[in-house]
Amino acid sequence: MHNTWKAARLDLALVKPYGKVICFTLLLPIAFAAINRSLLTGVSFAMCFVAMTTAYPFAVEERSDMARLYGILPVKKRELVLGRYLFVLALGVLALVVSLVVQPVVLRALGEPVVGMDLLQAAVGGGILFTLYTVFQLPGYYKFGSIKGRVFLYLPVAGFLFTLLLFPRLPLGSVSLSPVLLVGLGVVLVIVLYALSIWCSVRTMERKEL
Amino acid sequence: MTNDLEVRNLSKTFGGFRLHDISFTLPKGYIMGLIGPNGAGKTTTIKLILNMLRRDSGQVTILGRDNVADEQRAKAEVGVVFDTNYFSGDWTAAQVEGALSGFYPNWSTRRFAGLLARFGIAPARKVKELSKGMQMKLMLACAFSYDARLLILDEPTSGLDPVSREELLQILAEYIEDGEHSVLFSTHITTDLERTADYITYLRDGELVYTGGKEEFVDMFRLVKGGREELSPRLRERVLGLRTFPTGFEGLMRTQDVGEFPGLYAEPASIHQIVVFTNKGGDFDA
Repeated sequence: MHNTWKAARLDLALVKPYGKVICFTLLLPIAFAAINRSLLTGVSFAMCFVAMTTAYPFAVEERSDMARLYGILPVKKRELVLGRYLFVLALGVLALVVSLVVQPVVLRALGEPVVGMDLLQAAVGGGILFTLYTVFQLPGYYKFGSIKGRVFLYLPVAGFLFTLLLFPRLPLGSVSLSPVLLVGLGVVLVIVLYALSIWCSVRTMERKEL
Repeated sequence: MTNDLEVRNLSKTFGGFRLHDISFTLPKGYIMGLIGPNGAGKTTTIKLILNMLRRDSGQVTILGRDNVADEQRAKAEVGVVFDTNYFSGDWTAAQVEGALSGFYPNWSTRRFAGLLARFGIAPARKVKELSKGMQMKLMLACAFSYDARLLILDEPTSGLDPVSREELLQILAEYIEDGEHSVLFSTHITTDLERTADYITYLRDGELVYTGGKEEFVDMFRLVKGGREELSPRLRERVLGLRTFPTGFEGLMRTQDVGEFPGLYAEPASIHQIVVFTNKGGDFDA
């Protein structure tokens, strides 16, 4: 097994005691989608919430002074960082999948039509929002730690308020993109942003003395 | 004789502290005590060995591998015990294994279970519920489960009760029995080393004061005592860390100097006394 996978598994072990909280985080946005009768709002709420849980491994690590454990493990610092990104991405994908499966069912039960394009837009939008939150959060936590860098914890809240209040006012209706182009642009944006974010985090971690 | 640990001209400056030109070697199959008062540089040296701190200069070889260039392979065979536990407090002992075992190709689940049983640690107990002594044993159980060839302990006995300290020393003695394992044991409780250590490396203010055999170290000095009337200016010059009382004096003297004062009472000094008296103002090398 590659060391990056092992590091991701270690992060999973770190947040395991908080499994119930994370499950609640995944399911709560269903209510939000039902109240607002909007899949996009429900998905953005889900991504906001799950992005806030990405601080957990940093917080556990800091509270238990686990930097010393990372210092003695036979892995490179770069692999530890990649493992954490992998874990965070897996968490984001899980939240997105749960939202895209459960929320349309609830909305349809309430009489709201959900078509394929709605799902696609919600998937791309949710993915991009999660990316925008975490690409700033993770380097922030690596640089300042979860306590000093707690401002990054609230970044998704600001992002969520932005999507809730300002997003509907933007003239996005006039922009028409083909589904393929929409997905393509979304994927490129996510890859570029994560590459930059990982580079920053690896640089910070490699300079850090444990 | 092969060396399991070689430290050459290791230096590091940070935050007003300077570790300067430290060199020592730990031969395979032995226990080395890394001693010195608080702030001497023991933990810094250990963190530099483990590449947790970046060295300014020097070289460290662990089990024949460079600690930076070949860091992963070197660390796969090193076990480390710090003064406090480094696992998540929410983990159970069994979850500690789940989290760590994947990193070590030699990890044996059977051996880990056996060690937990031997140390009296219930697999379902949370780390934060274990006593300090038990947490230390859990760190040891992990190191022994992947058959770490070199064990590095940083102040493992500080805060432990005498029974737990005794148990640890017993475990270390068993660990090196086969001649294939070595231990670097940092402590300021030097009595722990009187029985167990084969070699001593003594640091003070970031400088290397002594490195070599423990017997030679102890044999370098004698504890001298006498009445106040015996305290001549010549004797004052020779005694390190002189301590005077209304009735007399005591201090440390280099063994070769004792012959100059035939009437003086001299007895073997302990490691503890050597560290205390040389710290009180004596120049170790003079």
